[in-house]
Amino acid sequence: MSLKNGPTLTARGPDLASISNRTPLEDARMQLNPSTPTRKPKPPKPENAITIGVSARVLFNMEKEQQIYQQQGLEDYIKYQVEHETQPFNPGPAFSFVKALEAVNTRLRELYPDSEELFDVVLMTNNHAYVGLRLINTINHHQLFIERFCMTGGNSPIGYLKAYHTNLYLSADPAKVREALEEGIAAATMFTQEKMTQVSDTQLRVAFDGDAVLFSDESERIYKAHGLDKFFEHEKAHENKPLDHGPLKGFLEALGKLQKKFYGKGQRMDCPIRTYLVTARSAASSGTRALKTLRSWGLEIDEALFLAGAPKGPMLEKIRPHIFFDDQMFHVEGAAEIGTVACHVPYGIAQGVTKKGINDKETSAAPK
Amino acid sequence: MVSTIQNTDVKQKDADRAVVVAVTSRAVFDCGAEDGDDVYGVGVAFPLLQALQRVNERLLEENPAESLLFDVVLITTDSQQQQQSSRIISNTRHYGLEISRFCFSSEEDFIESLLTNHVDLFLSTDRSEAAQASHKGVFSALLNRKVASSEQLRVLFCGDAVIRPDTDSPSASQDAAQSFSAQLGEMRQRFGLLHSPLSIVLVTSRGGRESCGTALRTLRSRGVSVDEAYCLAGAPRSPFLSLLRPHFLLNNDLED
Repeated sequence: MSLKNGPTLTARGPDLASISNRTPLEDARMQLNPSTPTRKPKPPKPENAITIGVSARVLFNMEKEQQIYQQQGLEDYIKYQVEHETQPFNPGPAFSFVKALEAVNTRLRELYPDSEELFDVVLMTNNHAYVGLRLINTINHHQLFIERFCMTGGNSPIGYLKAYHTNLYLSADPAKVREALEEGIAAATMFTQEKMTQVSDTQLRVAFDGDAVLFSDESERIYKAHGLDKFFEHEKAHENKPLDHGPLKGFLEALGKLQKKFYGKGQRMDCPIRTYLVTARSAASSGTRALKTLRSWGLEIDEALFLAGAPKGPMLEKIRPHIFFDDQMFHVEGAAEIGTVACHVPYGIAQGVTKKGINDKETSAAPK
Repeated sequence: MVSTIQNTDVKQKDADRAVVVAVTSRAVFDCGAEDGDDVYGVGVAFPLLQALQRVNERLLEENPAESLLFDVVLITTDSQQQQQSSRIISNTRHYGLEISRFCFSSEEDFIESLLTNHVDLFLSTDRSEAAQASHKGVFSALLNRKVASSEQLRVLFCGDAVIRPDTDSPSASQDAAQSFSAQLGEMRQRFGLLHSPLSIVLVTSRGGRESCGTALRTLRSRGVSVDEAYCLAGAPRSPFLSLLRPHFLLNNDLED
């Protein structure tokens, strides 16, 4: 934009300190909000982006408010929220994960300025819009790049998750997570943790359990019904038969797609996304089927860690993922104890409910 | 020529306090659907009238002396329908609709009928009809053609226009818009957060979170507390409208 099209340069005082090509509207915007850059990147179209839906309670710490809601009811909760509207919330369990997603976006935009294949974080909350301003103020305070949200005032968020082509949904409410899984959306329940160890702010690290997370729970069923020996036997016999996919397969696939964009620009060593498989399977035997399955899907995982039944905590401590998905609360709790942000995928035989939905769909977890 | 007939089955509302909503009989009844007998089919505006009625019922439950109620006026301009004025009235009775007044006028005079009846909100399925009324200073909105709830009145404010008012429409219409919003906001306050027969929904289509925040603040300053807010930041609107199922959209300057 040339100066010719800009405002006429007359002596106006301090505004002329920096010569600019800005239009009067952009000038006005700068004066209102000097911290934002002149042109904020536009959110990508939902069908092009990898959309992560996060609930308010996992993005921010709302424990105090949640207590008020449970003990005193909705009206008092809302009153408290509105009274504290200008007081930002502290980060919640999903916060560092969201920050890491934004760091990846920054790198992607540098390499592919016109591409819409980016992460898009949507705030998906059941809260009434009365809490809206406090949430917006908090997003501003922490300088998060969240431009889309749904405050459903108590209505189910599931339809809206679909409308945003959501690839992954994180919530503190297990019922909503289960509902999302049933609708074919990758989802996990997050919990507030006392301890959250320091994680990288330059590399997004995502760790997955294998069975009933990336893979279906078919093998886990055999283990539960017939024991470990039968499980090993079965896995060896079916080594070359790919496992069916699990609820998080699609999300791994989406991460892989973005990773390839970095590889394409010669940034394999320096890739800001790293994925891990952390499984109780053993490298010597049952692990082979897992690796072959991933290969048959055309998916890569950066590190596969076969624990042969050993506790996952120490390994996670070494990896320091931003997020770890497991279908068993035992492992989720174990991870949380050492400070890894772990979330529960309530899917498969470990939950004691019949699986449905996921394996009925041939395609990956979210429509794209 | 405008003629107004009061519905004697329905208690007339307090003219100073009631929120007068005008709908065309074309939108309420499906007159083409009649098959010989005198009963019309139900039109697009039917769930709306039921929802408005429900709000009134609940308002009176909270306070039997409540005067801030919806006052529904049925406008008939179609000359064919005018000949069947008694049919329109009998159908109103048949369906138990809480319509206070029937207004019959020619196409040219229908705006006059809106003005003489002190209409606060005119709802139509016809875009040009709504635009015409708006230009003459009557706050107007389009009825949502898709099936909406009859359990809860759902009003959708289009946030992009809340913060950037349509400079084409005269300020009389803007005043009318703000006045209606304030009345709606006041009505909403009569109910608690849950189980309200009225829900106020805000959707901002284009801007990001700041636009939505500004719209929330603006509405709040006009006495409107929003129940649900959706910030689309450029995402396509129609999947959301299908889920939200509003009865009508206010300040809607976008093509659907």
